[in-house]
Amino acid sequence: MNLTSKSVSRLFSSRLRLSALRSASERHSSSSTASTIGISQSTLEESKNVDSVLSVPTFFKRDLQNTELFNKNITPPREAWLENFDSLERRKLNVIELHPKVFGAFPRPDLIQLNHWWQTRYGQVDWLWFRTRAELAGSQKKPWQQKGTGRARHGSITAPQWIHGGWSHGPRGPRSHFFMLPFFTRVRGLIACLSAKFAQNDLKIVDTLEKFPSDDSKFLLEFVDKRGWGPSVLIVDKNDIFPRNIALASEDINHINLMPVYGLNVYSMLKHETLVLTLAAVEEIESKLLYQLTRNDLKEVINKFKAPYIGHQPKVF
Amino acid sequence: MATKTFTNTTAENALQMLRFLPRISCENLVKNPYARNKKRKRVGKYGRRGRLGYGQKGMLQRQKYLPLGMEIQVVKTDPRPNKIIIRTTPWHIRHPREWYYKGILDRRQYPPLSLYELQLLIDTGKINPDEPIDLATLCNTNCYHINPLDKHYGIHLTDDGLDVFTAKINIEVQHAKEQVIAAIERNGGVITTAFYDIKSVMALADPLKFFKSGEPIPRRLLPPPDCIEYYSNPKNRGYLADPEKVAEERFLLSQKYGYKLADLKIDPLYKTLTLRKDPRQVFYGLEPGWVVNLKDKEILKPSDKLLQEYYKS
Repeated sequence: MNLTSKSVSRLFSSRLRLSALRSASERHSSSSTASTIGISQSTLEESKNVDSVLSVPTFFKRDLQNTELFNKNITPPREAWLENFDSLERRKLNVIELHPKVFGAFPRPDLIQLNHWWQTRYGQVDWLWFRTRAELAGSQKKPWQQKGTGRARHGSITAPQWIHGGWSHGPRGPRSHFFMLPFFTRVRGLIACLSAKFAQNDLKIVDTLEKFPSDDSKFLLEFVDKRGWGPSVLIVDKNDIFPRNIALASEDINHINLMPVYGLNVYSMLKHETLVLTLAAVEEIESKLLYQLTRNDLKEVINKFKAPYIGHQPKVF
Repeated sequence: MATKTFTNTTAENALQMLRFLPRISCENLVKNPYARNKKRKRVGKYGRRGRLGYGQKGMLQRQKYLPLGMEIQVVKTDPRPNKIIIRTTPWHIRHPREWYYKGILDRRQYPPLSLYELQLLIDTGKINPDEPIDLATLCNTNCYHINPLDKHYGIHLTDDGLDVFTAKINIEVQHAKEQVIAAIERNGGVITTAFYDIKSVMALADPLKFFKSGEPIPRRLLPPPDCIEYYSNPKNRGYLADPEKVAEERFLLSQKYGYKLADLKIDPLYKTLTLRKDPRQVFYGLEPGWVVNLKDKEILKPSDKLLQEYYKS
């Protein structure tokens, strides 16, 4: 794209970008955050120096979808740096606009918690199983006669009131905890989580994973360290077939994971400290979530698990 | 002009706060403390046993409460002749039914659609104003819902947003008042009121579902006797009215409301504005008796003479 003086001045004059930069530098320079992230101070300084280097950017304007959903004066589009992924040195390639309804929405902590709870809960199976009196081994006969012994009357030693007797109403067999959260709680949970990640400067956007130079896992660790990314990183791309180098490099590292867009979920975003999205993934995520926000066949989506409506039945005499 | 970057919205404040808070992770999530707990919590010694607060005998245990409006009256023997205790039955128990609502659920219903909503649908691009609009168009937007099983017979176009309505359209509704007709004709549009029997409404309410069923398009029935007058009245722009009289009424209405009636013949959209259905027709461009095959994308027409005669207008 053509590089005009106007676009350059626009790039540097905006208070939004400057403050975003400032907050990022504050975040990384403060000792408390550094200790929680677990990066040595020297690497932080390095990354700080790298931040100041601004190589020649490749400008292009990203067109936002569904611009009617937000008011530019009240909620302006979010802006983020587009970084390179092809070398150890960090270069800022562009500033891209992000949709404020996806990356700048209210970060509902309760929805994030609900989604996290649902994801941890629905797969659980309760295997606890206690024997009833019928299933216990041992004699089923009457322990002593009904009358004449002076003792309490009993019919069986496996009765539930006996010690080592059977269980009445005990837990029975594998019990599934499967359930579905309401559809829109899931959609809004994703949006809340993405917004929170972006606000906390834990969401990084890179151009492409194709040009990653090495398939060595040590190089990847060094790469992540130098960028100042959290120890655990989730890298998300549009397709589920990843380029060879990044796939091999991240194979042996348990805390650096790859994921396609269709697998992106709240739990994984919370689990990893830094979320790295490719530009293609950002566009896919935005378009998918905006489709959910603007679709008008919600009635069908919401009524999916409900019984069909029969309607009014007039009386017939 | 200075550009506004940060505004004082709740979302913005929350996101600003998040910048200086610890990172959100699996460890620091909390349940919503303000969520309403639906279950009644019973605590204490008798929390899980006994009568659960519903009494031990009599009326309260059996949940047999007195009907609303009744009061327990203790009749005392009063020697004084002037004091009379009056026992009244509540009005709604003395008159258990209101007969003017008789058969309300079996009567024809017309779910309303306001002119404001119609304008909104056109502005947001859900409806193309250059094409004739009917019940199928509105149901396909998924913003207007009818259920034919609930005796919904179509649209009642109401006058809300009458002053902001600016679209020029050719619309067919089932019921419209005089001011609504005037609002549409003021902009150079055309409105018709038409009747559909319930089978035709079912086809129009969900055309995709109807075509998938493989049934032939039904022959639209004539209106029942109680509304045949409404649909043959040119004042209501009825579809059975004489077109010449309708033209006359269009002019008279413009005189009454004081707007200049646009000449349809000069209009570039003359063809779409004057497009109307046959009184026996259900869908635009499709005739009764035809079967639409969605899989092979073809239309099957009846070849039998008996059928042709049956479906004839």
